[in-house]
Amino acid sequence: MTNGTDRPAILTLDGLSKSFGDLRAVEDISLTIPEGEFFTIVGPSGSGKSTLIRILAGLETPTGGSVRLREADITMTPANKRPTCMVFQSLALFNHMSVGDNIGFSLKMRGVPLEERRAKARELLEMVRLPDSYIDRAVTQCSGGERQRIALARALASDPEILFFDEPLSAIDYRLRKILEVEMKDLHRRTGKTFIYITHSLEEAMVMSDRIAIMREGRIIQMGAPQDIYARPASRFVAEFMGEVNIFAVAGGQVAGQSAPELEDGWLVVRPEALRPLAEGEAADISFEATIGNDYMLGSRTQFHLDAGGQTLLAELAAGAATGRVPGDVGRWGFDLADATLTRD
Amino acid sequence: MRRLSPGYLAMLPMALLLLAGFAAPIVIVGVYSVMPPRTFGFSGDITAVNYVAAFTEGYWRPLMWSAIGAVLTTLICLAIAWPTAKALAHLGGRWALVISILIALPIFVSESVRLFGTSLFLMPGGGILAGSLRAWLDISVGSILNTRFAALLGLIYIHFPFVLFPLILGLSLVPKDQVEAARDLGASGWTVFREIEAPLAAPGAAIGALLCFVLSLGANAEAAILGGQTVTVATRAIEQRFTYAQDWPQGAALTMLIILITALVVFPIMRRLDFDRLIRR
Repeated sequence: MTNGTDRPAILTLDGLSKSFGDLRAVEDISLTIPEGEFFTIVGPSGSGKSTLIRILAGLETPTGGSVRLREADITMTPANKRPTCMVFQSLALFNHMSVGDNIGFSLKMRGVPLEERRAKARELLEMVRLPDSYIDRAVTQCSGGERQRIALARALASDPEILFFDEPLSAIDYRLRKILEVEMKDLHRRTGKTFIYITHSLEEAMVMSDRIAIMREGRIIQMGAPQDIYARPASRFVAEFMGEVNIFAVAGGQVAGQSAPELEDGWLVVRPEALRPLAEGEAADISFEATIGNDYMLGSRTQFHLDAGGQTLLAELAAGAATGRVPGDVGRWGFDLADATLTRD
Repeated sequence: MRRLSPGYLAMLPMALLLLAGFAAPIVIVGVYSVMPPRTFGFSGDITAVNYVAAFTEGYWRPLMWSAIGAVLTTLICLAIAWPTAKALAHLGGRWALVISILIALPIFVSESVRLFGTSLFLMPGGGILAGSLRAWLDISVGSILNTRFAALLGLIYIHFPFVLFPLILGLSLVPKDQVEAARDLGASGWTVFREIEAPLAAPGAAIGALLCFVLSLGANAEAAILGGQTVTVATRAIEQRFTYAQDWPQGAALTMLIILITALVVFPIMRRLDFDRLIRR
């Protein structure tokens, strides 16, 4: 499952914009999401991603553009009339209700009788892997991970065409987040529904998504499959956003004080695993002298912080190659241009 | 020797004040209420005759008027305060503050002064409203002054802030995301109110309603100043027993009945409220 262009579009955004006074939170976003896709919008806080998903869920009205669900224009349809459902960042569980009443809420709104609601709640508890006995428990008695699953079950109960997620995992500790990311992806596969997910963590997006859009200052600056974005970041911003990368400025055919006449001006993005120590007489496209600052064990690999003439660089070596290198060592390091990506901005 | 805990020590002034100013008078009134009619001392002959008289000699009427007035005032104040609190929350910021201050300001003016002002405003013929209309527009209007309706309006006017402000506090306990989640799950405006806002704002609403009910039940000035002679409320009846009638035991029995009604309404509600949640926020 990559970007699924063979499937029909379920959601089409056309020139979508939203301003709050002078602040342009969302600017002219157009994209198409095919049915059944796990689509993730990633961006730092303030990038407008939350505003965008709130417009899609019907909790906010855009100041320009349109949203179409299949063929129907839903731009001005309020949230309670849309066949979509959102899992909130805070989860927004109803603390004054039991787990079963939370899950069955959307069915109650449709006038489904109590017995049917409870039967559906039981079915969904099983789907999110919670024990049947939780149905009469107070949500306040449930742990963070359990509350996540209840929120998921509540959103699924209305059998929505699209599920929205507004950073639901951001307040969860690392280990549990990893488990829930896998469960989320698994749930996406089992339900076959369209998931539209918001997060500030590109790492989280990479694990789960079929396709990722990166947002900055209200605009989408890169969109594609996770592996494409990883391999070819379109800008320095995207590269830095991906986390641990080295950025070298390219100006006038010069990189790190060496001549590279074939390169246009811009930024060279080099992954930590592309940096390597050079043996006596060994050559690399770009090389420089560096001092090892610190070393960190990452299991099968070791990460080194290098000081190269004032610039701090990251290098990662497999355990074997790392042996014998200690902080304070001075030596030549380098990388080949084939392992680097050039970006203009 | 065990030292007295500082908690008890800090509580002492308040405890003494409540003992002398609240508990002792109630005990005295309670004892008077079982004394023979028209006695002024504790003679020792305990009797229930004052309580029987409270129901057989027409005192039920002022008690009923007070109860009806208190219930109506509470319900109407709640009905007006809910949309007001919602509007203020929606407005937010400086305007909400200005409007809140305007609503709260009259509390700092004596209740009687405000009621006499209202009375002057409503006075037939030469009152501010009727007089101005006649002088400027040559329109003659009647007046609602000295009617039960005027007394009820007075009760609502005086007690509205006591409902509004606890309700604003209560509504502030309703998380915005839960309202949004409910809407997202298909709830209409009315169901959001019924399923989310009402239960979550209940502590604030209940405190406001209790304040309003208790104060209205014991209110006297509204009926006296705006209602004229059209209605005698319980407080007025009790006052008459203690003054003109010189029948302290009868007045004491009526007082105890009012306290009983209050307790029967207040305690069951207080027991169900989660004050901790309101205070901790």
